[in-house]
Amino acid sequence: MLPFRSTAAPRAPATALALSALALLALPFLATLALAHEGHDHGAPPPPVSKTVAPRGEAASAAFELVAIPRGDVLVLYLDCFATGEPVTDAVLAVETPAGPATAEAAPDGSYRLAAPWLATRAAGENHLDLVVTVTAGSEADVLPLTVALPTAPGPAAPAGAGHDGEGWPHRLAEGLGGRLAARDPGAGLAAAGGFALGLAAMGLMRAGRRAPVLAILVLAATLVLGATAFAHEGADHGHPETRAAFVPQPTDPAADLAQRLADGAVFVPKPTQRLLSLRTQLAVEGGYRRTVSLPGRVIPDPNASGVVQSSVGGRLAPPPSGTFPRLGSPVRPGEVLALVTPPVQRVDLSDMRQRQGELDQQIAIVQRRVDRYRKLSPGGAVSQVQLDEAQDELNGLTDRRTALDRIRQEPEVLTAPVGGVIAEAAAVAGQMAASGQMVFQIVDPRKLWVEALSFDALTPASDATARLPDGRSLPLAYQGAGLADRNQAIPVQFAIRGGTDGLRIGQFVTVLAATDAERRGLALPRASVVRTANGQDVVYAHIAAERYEARPVRVAPLDGARVLVEAGVSPGTRVVVQGAELLDQVR
Amino acid sequence: MLLQRFLAAGTVLVALPLCAHRACAHEGVGHHGGRLADAGPYHVELVTKDRRVEVWVYDAKEKAVSPAGFKGTAILVVGGKPARVVLAPAEARLTGEAEVALGATPKGVVQITGPDGAAASGKFN
Repeated sequence: MLPFRSTAAPRAPATALALSALALLALPFLATLALAHEGHDHGAPPPPVSKTVAPRGEAASAAFELVAIPRGDVLVLYLDCFATGEPVTDAVLAVETPAGPATAEAAPDGSYRLAAPWLATRAAGENHLDLVVTVTAGSEADVLPLTVALPTAPGPAAPAGAGHDGEGWPHRLAEGLGGRLAARDPGAGLAAAGGFALGLAAMGLMRAGRRAPVLAILVLAATLVLGATAFAHEGADHGHPETRAAFVPQPTDPAADLAQRLADGAVFVPKPTQRLLSLRTQLAVEGGYRRTVSLPGRVIPDPNASGVVQSSVGGRLAPPPSGTFPRLGSPVRPGEVLALVTPPVQRVDLSDMRQRQGELDQQIAIVQRRVDRYRKLSPGGAVSQVQLDEAQDELNGLTDRRTALDRIRQEPEVLTAPVGGVIAEAAAVAGQMAASGQMVFQIVDPRKLWVEALSFDALTPASDATARLPDGRSLPLAYQGAGLADRNQAIPVQFAIRGGTDGLRIGQFVTVLAATDAERRGLALPRASVVRTANGQDVVYAHIAAERYEARPVRVAPLDGARVLVEAGVSPGTRVVVQGAELLDQVR
Repeated sequence: MLLQRFLAAGTVLVALPLCAHRACAHEGVGHHGGRLADAGPYHVELVTKDRRVEVWVYDAKEKAVSPAGFKGTAILVVGGKPARVVLAPAEARLTGEAEVALGATPKGVVQITGPDGAAASGKFN
């Protein structure tokens, strides 16, 4: 204990020092906190985001977002839906103004205009205005308190440099020299260095006890100083045109609102520009989503809603009775005649047929005569009725065989459509010889298309899938079945396309995104909301205030054709830009 | 001993900001059982009873401010429709009468205009 005390005693002042230092350190923090209370809403308008942005005010509720910009003696109001950023143009805005209640008129450009003569007659020192705006849009009503920052009052025009009058020449001189030094004027630098050297020389001479040279140096220094004053004056008058030129839009210019990237990295986009770029947002919601795998696939016709037309015997193609072959893309009904095929008769067959024909003709003639004779004799009873009937039957049989032989030589094969649909492929030319089994037409029902994908792992039948097209569209798919035999070391999986199949072609390549069993948590956002920045990082833009957007780096995983899963970087409830993010990223 | 002193000083240092933070929040009920909100340099307390609207004005230190010279407007949303109530000083408060019954806690905004002509508004959710 004693050694401890003995060392503690000399330490006591040090401890006190440390304590007071701590207290001193803590003081600024306490002061800030106290200020936070004092200044939370006690009439201080938010500072302007940039010098090139006209003063304005904004307010937001759960349903609406309102921005007000004073333009001369008119207050321009922009009303948007809070969650989506969609402009609300059919609302009624009742405003509590200093001159009593007034209603803002809807303008053709989607804004609202409120005549505000009280803007011009306000007190000079007033830099903000408190309004209450009652918004009624459809069944929704909301009251928004709005604090509008006002442009600085154009007070009595002060002559240039008038503010410097009371400050005396040393201040002016210092300011002028400082300005010149800041502008890297070599003259000012030389003057400063020369003054220092003269001072050194004067000191040295004083020590040596020489009066006359000291006086001379002082006179020289005075001349230099006066010269520098003249420089400074000149500088104050003309300013620096080359530095001023950088600020082309003047702060008081009403059209000065430009979309710009602010110093803190946020992007300022004024409401008119937001509407021009049609920026839309979405409240990010966290949820569990199935991870997806992407598979290469291609569009195939539905096997039950497509068919081919082939000739079975082969022969010469002829147009159907309607006169023309169906064109590519023309719709056909099931059973419709598409073409005729006349089978060719070989030379040897022809002679065989002629011979057969002759034989038949001969037999017909003989039997015909016999029938005639029997017909005369049968009434007398010389020939029985049975003999006559037999001869007549024989004649009928022979005539049938003769006509069948004629028909076989002339009747073509009729090609009909097996299913309804449109002609997807046509290879018919009049007079062309079609081989047996050759496809003449392919018929596809364009409303019933499937996608066949190659999967490297077995998919669960119940999993939902989507197909993404090269142009960014996506199609919902329904699982139909998977093959068991490997094809290129992968299993063919077939899906039916649900919904519209407009613009799809047979054989077109698609990317199929099929859900797997593994579930992941995150925020699902449209694919278009993620932007890749110049440094290769994926960002989304969060809408943090009415006219401010902030880039948030995110980690994304593929989810499905239209959405991506944001796994980190954005908290739920953030308003994320889902439309126009690319355009927002271009703002410099 | 010294350790205790250290601990005490540390506790005070930690506790002070917390207390200050607590003081910042205006949640809860006012002196008249109404809701409190900030309105510019003032704090306002809103009490609605049937059709009557009463607003008390306090300064930043929660000290009552005389309503003389004040004007006020309360816009309260009742059943999806805004109701505008003009408030006038009466005794120690601003008061007005609405056209419809307001309920106990309607959401809306109270705008007060001080004797100096500056308007300030407080939002009640």
